[in-house]
Amino acid sequence: MMKSTTNYLRFNIFHRFSHFLIIISFFGLVLTGIPLAFRGYDWARWLYELFGGYPTAGFIHRICALITFFAAFLHFIFLFYNIAVKKRKGYFWGPDSLLIQPRDLFDIFKDIKWFLGFSKRPNFDKWIYWEKFEYLSLMWGTLVMAVTGLILWFPVQFTKVIPPSVAAIVDLPSIALIIHRYEAILAAGFIFTIHFFHTHLLPEKMPVDESMFTGRITEPEFKHERLNQFNRLEKEQGLENMKVAPPSLFASFLTRLFAVPVLIIGLVVTGLMLSAILVWAI
Amino acid sequence: MGYNSPKGGLIKRYLSGFKSFRLSAFMVIMIATLSPAMICAGDNDECLDCHTNPEKLKVTEKTEIDPITGEIEVIPLVIDEAAFKKSAHGGEDFYCVDCHSELEDADLSEGHKPNLKPVDCITFCHDDPAEEFLKSSHVKLMKEKNKDVPTCKDCHTGVRYEDSGIVVKSPMNVPRADDPSHRRFTIESCGSCHEDYFSSYRNNAHGQVTALGHTTTDVPVCFDCHGKHTILNSSDPESKVGKEKILETCGECHANAHESFVMHVEHPQIKNIGYYRNLLAAIKNARNDPENLKNMLKNPQTILCVVFVMYIGILAFTFSSFGLHSLLTWFATVRDECGRKGHDEEHH
Repeated sequence: MMKSTTNYLRFNIFHRFSHFLIIISFFGLVLTGIPLAFRGYDWARWLYELFGGYPTAGFIHRICALITFFAAFLHFIFLFYNIAVKKRKGYFWGPDSLLIQPRDLFDIFKDIKWFLGFSKRPNFDKWIYWEKFEYLSLMWGTLVMAVTGLILWFPVQFTKVIPPSVAAIVDLPSIALIIHRYEAILAAGFIFTIHFFHTHLLPEKMPVDESMFTGRITEPEFKHERLNQFNRLEKEQGLENMKVAPPSLFASFLTRLFAVPVLIIGLVVTGLMLSAILVWAI
Repeated sequence: MGYNSPKGGLIKRYLSGFKSFRLSAFMVIMIATLSPAMICAGDNDECLDCHTNPEKLKVTEKTEIDPITGEIEVIPLVIDEAAFKKSAHGGEDFYCVDCHSELEDADLSEGHKPNLKPVDCITFCHDDPAEEFLKSSHVKLMKEKNKDVPTCKDCHTGVRYEDSGIVVKSPMNVPRADDPSHRRFTIESCGSCHEDYFSSYRNNAHGQVTALGHTTTDVPVCFDCHGKHTILNSSDPESKVGKEKILETCGECHANAHESFVMHVEHPQIKNIGYYRNLLAAIKNARNDPENLKNMLKNPQTILCVVFVMYIGILAFTFSSFGLHSLLTWFATVRDECGRKGHDEEHH
């Protein structure tokens, strides 16, 4: 299968590597952590034992947490380098920014109109509003999980900073446990359903959006997904710099070899969580 | 047979019995009445010769009704030697007849008498812990409330959890204190009466690990914090979780435990509907009884419940709204695809 159309570089090696790190650490964290949240079910016990049970699964969980911290550290180094050192613009405002802009609100309305069949699919820029939401919730979620996780990791040290009279009302480790547990279910469920179905499992992408792994996107895909960005770049004559050779067959093969099992694991975990919630509800 | 019976001379066995004065007293009597056809106090071989071999036994199990719980228990008469050797009494100091004393000088030529009395743990050996237990406020309260007080064997029975979910009890294989199956069994035993505390324990950091089947001594079960034979109310200063001893109790695992750390709530009420009812009632009644509401708000459980409810709300909102969004995106994409195909065909 040869892709003869022009290819553009959508994600550079840094972003692809960061995404890979996040996949590895996120799956490690979910698979060793979610059994604790669903402790009453046989599959949870099986999954926990698969990762060595207590305390081995806990060690794996902490190592994966450190990988997440490392990925977050790389991300902020990247932002700091580009914003403060290279003085690049557009990180906080404009079409290249990942922060919510007024036009995103209009995009939501346009998208709803498209869902209901009243208009054509809206044209988006570099980041579509739900991608921004995913990015921001990843940032917020990582912060929440890191803080509560560290409290659970070092409960004696963290409670030391509050006087006993306050500790009698604000039970830091218990609050941290509840937040960590339900934020984890939120994060795992969000990535395994909403991120998967918005990005990888769309009918046109199934089974995986390869651009996050090979970095490349074909011209028709680019125009279909982000026409505004394409037109903007064409006008600024920035498109030429983004042109790259199509991904090698090997890179595409490797992407699917890695991504498909990972997607399946995520969906299976979602199924197990859903079944548990159904059992609980019935 | 994998069984290693004590092979030393009588003197050696006698000396080993000296570790416990009561046992050695037994041995003196046993040796004095020694005769070849009778069971030797210093040897389990004769007992095990039949009791490990179902073919040599007239009956291989008997049923008994537990005097306390009323449960029908099937007691196997075929002994699992490996399990017994691992049990608390499985060392070389104990012999079958130490506990089954009716058989001290039984004549084995015709087989011994069929129905033995239940073993008496207390009289000769464990009188101290039994006294501690029977005089404890826990037992006193049970008697006041007309509840049946558990016997030694109700808690100290050997248990084996099979994969099928069946729990096999064997009272003779008295477990050692650190036996994980025994520790797991005690959580369930305590939990069978203290249901609220059991379910709230399952919601905390310790209980969620034991719920996954890990019950070795590095994760606390009920008795690690509440004590074993003397279980006191937490309001009692002498209690292991009382004001005076809590630092020491938490410190057994958490080095450098301090005043703020021990304020931790071990039994979160986040899934206890009763707590929410009380909280709502206190809010409704705020004008008449502001003190009650103040106390409720000062209770660390209140923050936990608020955080829990908030998260349930966030989960419900996120998955319903974004789930709907994903589905709509998916269907709209498919609809576009079908439309485009139809369009293409018209043109060709």
